[in-house]
Amino acid sequence: MQRYIEGRSQPFSWFLYILPALLVYLVFLAYPLFSSMLASFMTGNHAQIQTFVGFDNYVRLFTEEELSTRYFSAFRNTVIFFAIHMLVQNVLGMLFANLLQNKHLKGRKFYQTIIFIPATLAIIVTGYLWKLILNPQWGAFNLVLKALGSEHANFPWLGTPGVSLVVISLVSSWQWVGIPTMFFISALGNIPDELYEAAAISGASPWQVFTNIKLPLIMPTVGVVSTLTFVNNFNAFDVVFAMENVNGAPDYSTDILGTFFYRTGIAGQHPIGIPDRGMGAAVATVTFVVLIIGVALIRHITVKQDEA
Amino acid sequence: MKKRCLAFLLLLSLVTVGVFASGDQESADSGKEKVVLRMGSWRMDDVAQMEAVLAEFTKTHPGIEILFQPTNPPDYNATLRLQLESGTGPDIMYARSYATGIQLFEDGYLSDLTSLPGLDTTYSEGNRAPWMTKDGKNFAIPFTAVSHGVFYNKDIFKELGLSIPESWSDFLSVCKKIKAAGYIPVANSLGDEWDINEVVFMNLAPNFIGGREGRLAYDEGKTPFNDKKVVALFQAMASLAPYLPEGFEALTYNDSNALFATGQAAMYFDGSWTLGTFSDVDFDWGVFAPPAPDGQKVHYICFHPDAGMAINSSTKYPEEAKIFLEWLGSPEGAQVLAENLPMGMFPMSNIAVEIEDLHAKEFLSLNEGRQLDVRWAWPELLGGDPSGYNLMMEGSIGVVTGRITPKQAADNLQEGLAKWYPPAQKW
Repeated sequence: MQRYIEGRSQPFSWFLYILPALLVYLVFLAYPLFSSMLASFMTGNHAQIQTFVGFDNYVRLFTEEELSTRYFSAFRNTVIFFAIHMLVQNVLGMLFANLLQNKHLKGRKFYQTIIFIPATLAIIVTGYLWKLILNPQWGAFNLVLKALGSEHANFPWLGTPGVSLVVISLVSSWQWVGIPTMFFISALGNIPDELYEAAAISGASPWQVFTNIKLPLIMPTVGVVSTLTFVNNFNAFDVVFAMENVNGAPDYSTDILGTFFYRTGIAGQHPIGIPDRGMGAAVATVTFVVLIIGVALIRHITVKQDEA
Repeated sequence: MKKRCLAFLLLLSLVTVGVFASGDQESADSGKEKVVLRMGSWRMDDVAQMEAVLAEFTKTHPGIEILFQPTNPPDYNATLRLQLESGTGPDIMYARSYATGIQLFEDGYLSDLTSLPGLDTTYSEGNRAPWMTKDGKNFAIPFTAVSHGVFYNKDIFKELGLSIPESWSDFLSVCKKIKAAGYIPVANSLGDEWDINEVVFMNLAPNFIGGREGRLAYDEGKTPFNDKKVVALFQAMASLAPYLPEGFEALTYNDSNALFATGQAAMYFDGSWTLGTFSDVDFDWGVFAPPAPDGQKVHYICFHPDAGMAINSSTKYPEEAKIFLEWLGSPEGAQVLAENLPMGMFPMSNIAVEIEDLHAKEFLSLNEGRQLDVRWAWPELLGGDPSGYNLMMEGSIGVVTGRITPKQAADNLQEGLAKWYPPAQKW
C-alpha cells in the first residue's frame, strides 16, 4: 500500500522538476528547429505568400549549377577548416595539457592564463585584430617579415586563394586552443598516480607513458573535444565574416557553410539583399543532418576505442 | 532559488513597465493635433543633416513632425522588410533603386505615387526611372544621387608636373610616372570585393560601353555581353594591376581610403559619398572624370540614383506623407536639401540649386559637357542567378589578379547572363 501511494505521486514530481527546462527547450530549441525545417519546404519571402513546394529547395540546392557549385565548395572548405582545427587546435591542446600537467613547472598558472585568454574574447574582435596584424600595408606581421628581410613582406595573407583559408583556420585555432587544453588538463588530472608510479618502476619512457596510459584513459575526453570541434566548425560563421566578409573572399575560397547560409537565407546577395528564406532553411537543415551523422560517427569511433 | 525568482520578477516588471511606457507615449502623440510620421533610412551618418531638413519642413508645416529613424546600412533591407511584414514599418522611407525597391512595391508595401502632383514636372524621366515599374508606376520620388570619379592628390601631380589624364593611355602613363617617383598610383584594392566593382568597374563602364545608349544595346539584346567593348573594359581593369598598392588582394576599402588620405597614393577611384572623409587632409586634392578609351569624343560619368523616398501603403497618415514628398520636390524643399544634405549626396530634382562645398561643386561640375548614366548592373542585371553584378565583380577581380584574361571575363559575363536573362540568350 505504502509503495502504491509513493508510486502515484512520483510521476508528477519528476515531471515538475524538468518542466522549466523542458519549456525552455521546446520554446527556444525544438520549436525553431521544427519551424526552420518546415520553412525549408516553402518558397516566397514573406508571411503572406509562402507556398509549399515540397523538396524543391533541396533539389535545387543540389542540382542547380549556381547553388550546388557554391554549396559543395563551401562544404569542402568547411571540411578543410575542421581538419585544420582537429590537427592544430587539438594536438596543441594535448601538448599544452601535458606540459601544464607538470605541477613543478614554473609559471604554470601564467601559461594557463595566456593559453585560455583568447577564448574569452569575442571572435569578431580577434578576427578584426588578426586582420589588422596581417594587413599587407601596415600590419605587424608583414612589418616583422620586412625587418627580417623577407621577400614575402607585403604578402596578402587574406587575399590569396589557397592560403587564406589556412590562415583563418589557424587564427580560429589560436583563439580556441584553450578549450581542449582545459578539457585535457582536467582529464589528465583524473588519472591515478599509481599508474604513473607503476610505469616509472617498469622504466617506461615519457612517450610510452603517453601512448599506453594517458591517451587510452582520456579517450572519452578526446571524443567530447572532437565532437565539440566538429559541431563548432560546421556551424562556424563569425571568423570568416569578420576577416573575409560574406562572400568568403578571395574567389569564394574561404566560403564555409555558415557564410553560404547567411548569404542565401538571411542577408541576400549584395547589393540586392533579397533573401531566399526557404533555401536558407534547406541549407540549415542539411547542415543539421550532416551534424547528426558526424556526431554519431565520432561517438562510434571514440567509444569503440574506449572499450577496446 | 529565491534570488532567481526575485530577479525574474524584477525583469518581468521592467519589461511590462517598458511596454506600458511606450504605449502611453503613443496614445499621447496621437491624442494631440500634431501628426508624427516616422521615416526609415539606411543613412546612419546623416542623422544631424536630415534632422535639420525635417526641422525646416516643420517650420512651414507646424502640424506635421517627422522623426528620422535610420537603421544600420547593411541591415536596412532585411529590417525594413521585417517591419513591413509585421505592420510596424515607418510611414515614410528611403527606397532603394531598381530591383530591391520594385520588389517591395510589387509585394504591396509601398504606395503608388504616380499621380503625385508635380512628379513629372519636377523630376526628369531618367531620374524617375529607378523607382518606376515596367508598366510606368512610380513608387518613390527621386531623392539623392551619387556620382563617381577619380580623386587625385594635386600636390603630387604638381610635384611631378602631371596633368589630368583624358584618355586611358594618358592615364596609364601618368600611373607609370607616379610609380617611378615612389608613390602608389592608384589606391584601390580587392579585399572587400564590392568596391572594385562599384567604384572602379561601374565608374569606367559608361565610357567604355557608350553610356546609356550603349548600355541599352546590351540590356535589350542588340549586342552580346562579350563584344570587344566589354573586353576592352576588362582589359582596362587588368591594366590597373601593376599600379595598385602592394598586397592589394587583401587590402580593404578603408585601407584604400587611408592610403589616399595619408598622401601615399596619388589617385583613388571612388564615389562622391567619400568627399567628407577627406575634408581635413593636409594636402590639396580634387576630382577628375574617369578617363575614356583613346580617341573617344563623347565622355560619360556614372551618376547613380541612390535613394528614393516612398510612402508605406498602410500608413495612417497618407495625406501628410504626400505633403512632405511634394515639399521635397518644391523649390523651397530642394534648396533646403541642397544646403543640408551630406556632402556628395546630390539632389535629383530639375530645380537648379546652389551647392556650397567646393569639392562637391567640383564633383558635380564634372557632369558638364558629359553624358550621364547609372551603374551598369543596376537597371536590368541584378536579379537572376548568377547576377550581372556578381559576374562583373568576379570578372574584375579575376582580371586584376591575373587569374583569367579579359576575354574570359567577358565570355563569363555573357554565358552567365544567358542562363537567365532572355536578351543575352540571343547570342
